[in-house]
Amino acid sequence: MTSETVNVRYMVEDVEAAVAWYTGHLGFTVISKYIPAFADVGRGSLRLLLSGPTSSAGRPMSDGERPAPGGWNRIHLIVDDLAAEVARLRAAGVRFRNEIVTGPGGSQVLLVDPSGNLVELFQPDGRH
Amino acid sequence: MAACIRYIVNDVSAAIDFYTKHLGFKLEMHPAPPFAEISRGDMHIYLTQPSQRGGGGAPMPSGELQSPGGWNRVHLTVDDLDATIAELKSAGCRFRNEAIQGVGGKQILLEDPSGNLIELFQPNTPAYRAPGSGTKANGH
Repeated sequence: MTSETVNVRYMVEDVEAAVAWYTGHLGFTVISKYIPAFADVGRGSLRLLLSGPTSSAGRPMSDGERPAPGGWNRIHLIVDDLAAEVARLRAAGVRFRNEIVTGPGGSQVLLVDPSGNLVELFQPDGRH
Repeated sequence: MAACIRYIVNDVSAAIDFYTKHLGFKLEMHPAPPFAEISRGDMHIYLTQPSQRGGGGAPMPSGELQSPGGWNRVHLTVDDLDATIAELKSAGCRFRNEAIQGVGGKQILLEDPSGNLIELFQPNTPAYRAPGSGTKANGH
């Protein structure tokens, strides 16, 4: 079965910084860049749309509220060895929102991108 | 290949109903009240209620609880945005804004029962050139 693209849009403060972070730390590759408004990056079937304040998606709502980064909803990236990933990312200076937590299906941790958006790394049970 | 997103919701059952009834998602599993996995093609969403029990809905070390909302969202491509909006409005769905014409296409923000956003997006036809756009339109 061929893979289809799964699109997720993240609001970011600085598109260039976000591109550098996602490609530098998490293995995303650049699909397109329209600095400073917008870029998209991909990893497997995930396409992450990085929208800055000057993008179409950054336009204020009719009540004046402006879209902004943050919140708890997040992309969820599966890794084989969470402890090794955490060590690698900490050494690279990446910020974490919590410590590794273990749940019914596996272990997970939350990274913080340069705009304050979360990224979840998840190691399913049964790996390592 | 699947790609996964976690959405924090107040009520997993209500979220399952919403996503399966209105947006064509399929229930993959609902093994416990605070968690379910739904899918639409290769998009898998983990619907997670904030929980003291650990796992994806666990509080932060500071005690801060997770909650729904924010502006980050899944982005679903539709063939006919106006028709989709009309259908969802007649079904009683809430929207956060009106449809806007962006560089790469038209988009609107739908709200789930917990207030999370879902973007519905209709790409421009290849012939469309938005004012100020480059040679390639790609979902700005």
